[in-house]
Amino acid sequence: MQPCPALRLRLMTALALAAGLLGAAAAQDLALPNRPDSLKFAIIGDSGTGSDSQYRVAQQLLAARQKFPYEFVLMMGDNLYSGSGSKDYQKKFEKPYQPLLDSGMKFYAALGNHDNPDERNYKPFNMSGQRYYTFKPKAGVRIFALDSNYMDPPQVQWLEKELTASGSDWKICFFHHPLYSSGMHGDESLPLRAQLEPLFLKHGVDVVFAGHEHFYERIKPQKGIYYFVSGGAAKLREGDVNKTNLTAKSFDTGYHFMLIEITKDALHFQAISDQGKTVDSGTLPRVSDQEKKKFATP
Amino acid sequence: MTHIIITTLVLASALPHAYAVQKPPVNPGAKVLLDFKERVDKYVELRKKADDSAPPLKKTDDAAELRAAQQALAERIGAARTPAKQGEIFTPEIAAYFRKLVRPELKETGTKGAVRDDNPAGMPFQVNGPYPSKEALSTMPPNVLASLPRLPKDIEYRFVGKHLILRDVRANLIIDYIPNALN
Repeated sequence: MQPCPALRLRLMTALALAAGLLGAAAAQDLALPNRPDSLKFAIIGDSGTGSDSQYRVAQQLLAARQKFPYEFVLMMGDNLYSGSGSKDYQKKFEKPYQPLLDSGMKFYAALGNHDNPDERNYKPFNMSGQRYYTFKPKAGVRIFALDSNYMDPPQVQWLEKELTASGSDWKICFFHHPLYSSGMHGDESLPLRAQLEPLFLKHGVDVVFAGHEHFYERIKPQKGIYYFVSGGAAKLREGDVNKTNLTAKSFDTGYHFMLIEITKDALHFQAISDQGKTVDSGTLPRVSDQEKKKFATP
Repeated sequence: MTHIIITTLVLASALPHAYAVQKPPVNPGAKVLLDFKERVDKYVELRKKADDSAPPLKKTDDAAELRAAQQALAERIGAARTPAKQGEIFTPEIAAYFRKLVRPELKETGTKGAVRDDNPAGMPFQVNGPYPSKEALSTMPPNVLASLPRLPKDIEYRFVGKHLILRDVRANLIIDYIPNALN
């Protein structure tokens, strides 16, 4: 008996996906300690195009989970370009990440300048109906999602209050616009930096992830804070990194996503291209509270 | 001694008058700001009525529900405001005052660049009409937002080209705008 054409198509699609995943997983070399008690998560930025590149990165993201069981994905904003109708949600989020969503993976979104703030009410983005929010994925780690596109005084006050309350946890912030970058938007970050950096220093923020620039850049530590730019999960501005003395490592010739592992005393990171190649990896020790205080002092 | 007492009495009697003259001047912008607040409050009241006539939007994993709720709210507000025109909230006095507030902030390094980044200049729009869903929202630098009066929840400032618009976030509706505020 022959299967019906629709069933045959679904079988072929599933086989192709499985074959693609096996190939993608084989291509990736894990450069993280992958400890059983660590916090593991992934990062995608500027992902919502619905393009082939988004689907390729999504496949690599899925493949990475076979070796590195990350618990959630942070989205750096521009989650849905050019519209937020139900078809946009399907094409630019639900379909590319469907296998992850089906497995119960949680995504936490920040808003970018291409996002309709109404995305905060879309349950799979886990924003609790808010433009900015915080959550504690594990004891000793707190994550803050900010709306850098509209940093108004109430948000700043909220952030100060939440940072104060977070005590000695790892403090990880993520939002759309980078405070430091070597791309075309570098200078535009100054007003936001003037607003946020003093707060980050005062309250001992450890690491900041952002997107907006369509490439990967690891910034040299700035006043004891680690900064990453990861805005190339579906968009690419080839050759846009104008290497400055800010740049520790950059990648602007392909799409990418990131894997992060937090242990008690260190942050481990790996950036992987849409071809499954590792473009950057390493370990950054947690800066002690004593050292942070030195930077916080004007 | 008598001379001293008389001098003291004369000075004391003059004091209330002196205080009246030196009373701190009233902030010239306060009246304008109060007027702005009252106009925005009136809009919020109107939105509340539009809100009350429909079931509240809850968080959902059905994106179609989000869009439908937003459009329904926009339609109810739009109908209640008809005819709405530019200047209903940003009167000429308020617009002039806002331009004065924003101007020094726009001179700060990086501020104009941030506002212009992906700013949908040239995008056609109208008061009481929707903000086109395919267009980006201009970035509002923190120093610009700090210089402007605070708004109620889910009402926000944005730039479209050089125009400063007032936008209802929940209804995705353009409430009013100040032409050429970015000059």
